Amino acid sequence: MDSSHAAPAAAHAPGGGHATVQTYIRVAVVLGLLTAIEIGALYVPGIPSHALVALLLVFSVLKFGLVVAFFMHLRYDNKLLTVLFVGPLIIAMAIILAIMALFGAYILLARG
Amino acid sequence: MAAEHAAVAHDPNIGCTGLDHRKMGMWAFLGSECMFFGSLIGTYLAYKGKSINGPGPHEILNIPLTSLSAFVLLMSSLLMVLALAAVQRNDMKWGKIWLFMTALFGAGFVGFQIFEFTHFVHLGLTLQTNLFGSTFFVLTGFHGAHVTGGVIWLLSLWVLALRGRLGAQDSLKVEICGLYWHFVDIVWIAIFTLIYLIP
Repeated sequence: MDSSHAAPAAAHAPGGGHATVQTYIRVAVVLGLLTAIEIGALYVPGIPSHALVALLLVFSVLKFGLVVAFFMHLRYDNKLLTVLFVGPLIIAMAIILAIMALFGAYILLARG
Repeated sequence: MAAEHAAVAHDPNIGCTGLDHRKMGMWAFLGSECMFFGSLIGTYLAYKGKSINGPGPHEILNIPLTSLSAFVLLMSSLLMVLALAAVQRNDMKWGKIWLFMTALFGAGFVGFQIFEFTHFVHLGLTLQTNLFGSTFFVLTGFHGAHVTGGVIWLLSLWVLALRGRLGAQDSLKVEICGLYWHFVDIVWIAIFTLIYLIP
């Protein structure tokens, strides 16, 4: 790998810029660690079920956010692209919660 | 600088928002994909634990194996951004290597999924067995089909690069493919947690 790998990737389009290769590698390390903790937590005895579910959901959201912000460059790109993605994402989450509520199925709360 | 602005202004791919149409189109598509997978995930969760016969998820899901395949897909996202960074600086030697490695990791993930599906069928879980089988195979099957499409896309770019028809001027093509690839990765982050990890 040549030394130019360390150079910041150039902005390539109007309103867009990218992270450096070092940042990508750091993000990948964090993603790997979060995944390892998630899986490890399953095998730790004595963690209350609600705490385990909350931990898994929080870590999942963190991983999701890191990939979208850094690997998909939304952190550096035009805010319009964020709106284009986050808007439907909110609708998708509302769909999930609505279907679960209609069917009386919950992750954190007791089933109805 | 003025000439640069004029070039951007006359680029037919740049609209009044100042953004490339192809990139905006991909983000709009990914937004629609969020709702598509959201409905499949919602259906899986709504029917979770409501099958009247087995096998159920706790009897059949192999967490260690799926953790490995999830890690492979996660790391393929790193390889994808390395490929994009290499193409952007016109380092096509590494661009080709990273593109091929990304496709290879993606194919590895699909291989894990084919093994998992075959194993489940041998254990008696099919689309028709119960609610768990129907919702599980539809959700993960659609995701696997998306990954397969991504692998084909990546290999197409790799072949273009091998033929010398992909360079820094085409970095947007790699970036758009990358957006799609990272999306299938984040969908798996959600599926992995909600289906495999949450008891």
